[in-house]
This record gives sequence, structure tokens and C-alpha cells, in this order.
Amino acid sequence: MGLPLFSAHGDPGPSFWHFAQMSGFDPVPREYPHETPHATTVIAVRYVGGVVMVGDRQATGNYIASRDVRKIERADRYTGLAISGSAARGIELLKFAQLSFEHYEKMTDSSLSLEGKANYLSPIIQRNNLSSPLGVLPLLAGWDESNLQGRIFEYDGAGGCYERLDFATIGSGSPFADGTLRLGFRDNLDREEALELGALALYEAGDNDPSTGGPDFVREIFPMMVTLNDEGFQELPSAEVGERFRAINVRRTESRGVAGGSLR
Amino acid sequence: MTNYFYVSPEQLIKDRAEFAQKGIARGRSIVAAIYDPGVLMVAENPSASLNKISEIYDRIAFAGVGKYNEFDRLREAGIRWADSTGFTYSREDVDARALANYYAQHLGDMFTEGQKPLEVEILVAQLANKVRPTKLYRVAYEGTISDEPRFAVLGGDADTIKERFALSEDSLQSLATTLHNAVAALAGPDRVITAEDLEVCILEDRGSRRTFERLSDSRVSELLG
Repeated sequence: MGLPLFSAHGDPGPSFWHFAQMSGFDPVPREYPHETPHATTVIAVRYVGGVVMVGDRQATGNYIASRDVRKIERADRYTGLAISGSAARGIELLKFAQLSFEHYEKMTDSSLSLEGKANYLSPIIQRNNLSSPLGVLPLLAGWDESNLQGRIFEYDGAGGCYERLDFATIGSGSPFADGTLRLGFRDNLDREEALELGALALYEAGDNDPSTGGPDFVREIFPMMVTLNDEGFQELPSAEVGERFRAINVRRTESRGVAGGSLR
Repeated sequence: MTNYFYVSPEQLIKDRAEFAQKGIARGRSIVAAIYDPGVLMVAENPSASLNKISEIYDRIAFAGVGKYNEFDRLREAGIRWADSTGFTYSREDVDARALANYYAQHLGDMFTEGQKPLEVEILVAQLANKVRPTKLYRVAYEGTISDEPRFAVLGGDADTIKERFALSEDSLQSLATTLHNAVAALAGPDRVITAEDLEVCILEDRGSRRTFERLSDSRVSELLG
């Protein structure tokens, strides 16, 4: 590729997507013939001072395709992006979002607002989902630097972007995670409570949905847990996540697989 | 009836070069230098928002002197080139030499074929990694590309500033010393440039993928002592 110079009236601006379309290497597909592995449960919970994200690690096609997929990625310093649906399209979207936010930052010497990042993804999701059977549904959460709060944005299949003030779930395990979150969510959760609720919701999803991978004590592969607050995107160490899920497992073993009459 | 006058190629090139040099000489200069362990770029720039130095990629930076609108378009093209090359292949395939070559070709084309030559001078700086060395590529208005060994000066007053800087530095120094020498070379013996009138950026490994950093006025004052 040569030097991409544009005249002032034909310039695509700082949007990498518009530039990509004009340059003919459009990352959004026209049609795909085969089924590919599907990614599964991710949760975002808002707390006082930020957002907690929890995601399982399993990619499922007709069989388990991978046990250690990272479905939540750092999109930039203050933003986390999670994917569900087609793994191929999802990972492409992650890569594209990361690149786009950084591209905007370098072009303009300022970062996009959190809402700007959420809206930017809308038409990309719309184009992908309406033109291909390989649907992808992301979940975007982050620390809003201008309003000093954690915020969550979810999407529908047509690319519609909706802000959630409490929590959001994506993937095939979401009905089970959603149920747990609806019972356990309060407006004034602190970080620790949000982490515990998120872990519990993911445990429920892993327990009930065949294509959501719960904690894997044999391989020591645990769900990803991330906090987004004024210190940015931070992933909890695997050992700490393991402890959390081990504790839930012990409680569930005592009560023979059910929560035992309370959220635990 | 229109009369066409013969102009010799020598004269044409000379006129165009003079035109470009005049345009470049109107602006302030930039000093870029390798320090231990990074690359420093210092521009005399009273504006805090119309930047002359910019991040291009993880380990590549851009600096331009001359007409702002002209070098800013080159800067944008550089970011687009780098981001799309990294997206198509891999982040490690984005090479400053390839970018400097594209700039050289474009400037060369504009110099001979354009309505007028671009009144700019460009620097592409690269911080070393395991496979690539630290590099300073200077691209002149007519497309001449030069690989500067330790430091480069861009702008109208380049020769004088180059002499002053070379006298003060004969080996790799720390960031503070290099910045001090660069600012002294830019200012000359009779002038003092304050941190507010400086744009200072570095490429340095800080444990993350991106190495570019724009230093704040307070940090620059602190480094200058």
C-alpha cells in the first residue's frame, strides 16, 4: 500500500472504519458459508466507582473448540470490550475497535468519549449482522473520564446501542446470569460486592448453559474478571479469580449443587 | 496568442528549491536526538495545540517543519499507513524506513511534478526493538532522504543549530542533558526559550506497547532545571 493521501474534501477524517472502506480493505464480510465456534457468557455489573466485567473462557462449535479464549479485551486504557457470537467476527471486531480508538487518538491528539466509542461500533455491528450469518454481539463498558463514572453499553442484533444503568449480559448463558444479577443487584454495590455477584452469575451460567465454560479446576483455567475504574482497565490475577470460584464451589458442594435458599 | 518561454531544467529546479527553502526558513526549527535510552524530539512551538511532533505507531514518531497544513497531511497519511499495515500484517511489520521512503517519493514527486513543491521537511524517528535499530530519517522538501546517525536538525536555521548541538554532545547522554543541549542549540547564545514555547516528545520503553510520550510543560521545566 502506498501513502494514503487525501484531498481536503475527500478526507475520511480520524475514523479508521471510513478510511478502511475508502481504501477497499473493508473488514466487514459479505457472506460466509460455514458455522464457526461461538463465544458464550459475559457479564458487566456497575458499582460505585466503576464496572466489573466477568467472562467465561470457552469457545463452542459442535464440540469444545477452545478452553482458554479471552472474550474480554482492553479496547483502550479506560474501556473494556467483550464479545459473543461468532468467534472469528468477534475477535476481528475487538482488533478493529482497539485499532480505531488508538487511530482516533493519534490523528486528533485527543481520546474519543466513552459514548463516542460505543456509538462508533453501532454501524459496524449493523453491517456485519445484516450481511452475514455470523452474527456478533459485543458489550462495551468503561470508565467515563468526563462524567467520572463507570458506564455499560449493550447492542442489539441490528447494531442498536443502549446504555444500561445496572448490569448487562451477552451470550447463550445470559438468561441464567441475568436471573442471578436481577436478584443480587443493588444501586450501591461496592467493588468487592460487584465482583462477588459477577462471579456468582457466571457460575450459574456455567452450571446451566452447555456452551458456557465454568471454572475449570482441572486445568486451572478460570473465567476472566476485570475492573474498569479511574485507574483504567485492570484484569484480576488468575489465582485470585480461582480462589473466588473455589469458594463458590465449596458452598455449592455443601448444599448439593443448589444455591441453598440464598444468593451464594 | 500565448507565448511560451523556454526555461532550462537547471533553472526550474533552482527556482523550485529556492521557493521551498524560503517557505521552510519562515518557521522555527526542530532538533531530534538519540539519548540513553530513547529518542528525543524538541520543537520551538508557541502553540500548545498545533503540534509539529506526533505519534505514528508503537515505536515510530513524526516531526515536521514548514507549512503546517502540508506536513500535517503527511502526518495523517503516515498514521493511516502505519495502522493499516499493522492491521493487514502484524504490528512488528510496521517499519519506519518504509514510511520514510514513501514520504521521500511523495515529496520528490511533488517537487518535480506538483504545482509547487511542498514547503516542508520531515523526520521519521524509530526506537529500536529486537529486530530494528533506533533510526532518525530526515526527508527534505525535494525528496532527499538521509539516515542521521545520532541527531537531526530540521528547519531553516538547521546548519547553525547543528553546529551548536554537535559541539555540546559527543556521546549519548541522559534525557535531561540531551534536552538541555537541544534547547540551548535551538535558542542560540542570545536567547532563552521557556518550557511554554517548547514542544517536547520522546520515544522510550516504559513497559507498554506504545512508547511515544508528549512531555508536559512542568516536566520539561523540571528536566531543564
